[in-house]
Amino acid sequence: MLLHARGIVKSYRRRRVLHGVDLAVRAGEVAAIVGSNGAGKSTLLKICAGLVTPDGGRVTVRGRLGYCPQNAGVMGFLTPGEHFTLFGAGRGMRRGAAARRGRELARALDWTVNRRTLAKDLSGGTRQKLNVVLAALGDPDVLLLDEPYQGFDRGSYLDFWRHVWDWREEGKAVVVVTHMLNRLDRVDQVLDLSPRTATGTTL
Amino acid sequence: MNPTFRTLRMAQMTLLELTRRRGVLGLLLLVPLVFYLGRHDEPGQAIRFASLGLGFAVSAAALFSSVGGREIEPRLALGGFRPRHLHLGRVLALVTAGLVVSALYALLIAVDQDVRDLAAVALELALTTLVAVPLGLLLGLAVPRDMEGTLLLISVIGAQMVMDPAKDSARALPFWSTREIITYAVDGPGAASLAPGVTHALVTAVLLTAVSSAVQSVRLRRRAHMQFG
Repeated sequence: MLLHARGIVKSYRRRRVLHGVDLAVRAGEVAAIVGSNGAGKSTLLKICAGLVTPDGGRVTVRGRLGYCPQNAGVMGFLTPGEHFTLFGAGRGMRRGAAARRGRELARALDWTVNRRTLAKDLSGGTRQKLNVVLAALGDPDVLLLDEPYQGFDRGSYLDFWRHVWDWREEGKAVVVVTHMLNRLDRVDQVLDLSPRTATGTTL
Repeated sequence: MNPTFRTLRMAQMTLLELTRRRGVLGLLLLVPLVFYLGRHDEPGQAIRFASLGLGFAVSAAALFSSVGGREIEPRLALGGFRPRHLHLGRVLALVTAGLVVSALYALLIAVDQDVRDLAAVALELALTTLVAVPLGLLLGLAVPRDMEGTLLLISVIGAQMVMDPAKDSARALPFWSTREIITYAVDGPGAASLAPGVTHALVTAVLLTAVSSAVQSVRLRRRAHMQFG
């Protein structure tokens, strides 16, 4: 088990959004988190990433985590290459290795990195690709992806899912928050956080 | 990988980002100049106001840098950076930029004014930068948005300008040393002495750095519900 969240409870003010949620993802599994707006999908992912403290419950992680937020959390005045260097440093990668790996991951998402373009000048979809690349840099064991394909064109969207299947083949645990229900038939489990139907289904 | 390497990488990227914000850099240079020219007819006052302008500009740059880093820093912490790497890297970058600006103003004053002790002026400008950086970072960590931080900073600088520095309570203000050292540099040892000003600046800089670093560590702490196997 690479990721195991048990009994996660979270309230915002008096509104409880997560009622004792469990999620267990093994190596080589893809889990999808679905649910209506405000159901707590992003909150659950942030709790699993350790970015938000739950009111109750625990999360156990084996290995390294990679997290891709829903909205771009990047430095607008740095180029994508400089982002690879910075995030690579955190993962213990030298500049050259981080740049090579970053460009490889970008190419797999149908994105050729322009060396001079600043992150603030990237389109929304390309900035989101940058986020996906940064999450995957350094070969994490657990990938937490919060609606990572926002702004992707159809080709990039398909490339992204191909990437997810590749990660599964490599033995990673992948969790994707998604609205795109047409891909759910190919994931290993679905956690539906919709009110009254908060259920986990193993496919 | 060496922790110093991560700190230096963070410093490098922060500095790179700062130097590409040409508008911010222009204002960083302009604010002290406006303060300086506003009192140009009185050398002592002109230098004091330029110093406070420098303190304001560098603190504001640090404040905006701190608020701007809120989204990316948790991701960097998740990706292997420790809070201290991120904080020290940011401090290092901002101090470097601030010292370059303070050196430019020391040069301007050397050319434009007849000051009794120019070295003390240069020292004072450098110390102002050392205080301003952690002050701005702390404000950036303490407020929800940069607007609130800017208003707080204006209050601090305003209080610094209007309060009588001879009062004991004035020593509680972060830039008290500015007026003390400039008085020494312009009017001589009879009017003020160097040591209390330098001590005040260094103690303030260390305290502000320690507190801002502690706040950053709490913000980016590993949450208690996480267990890594």
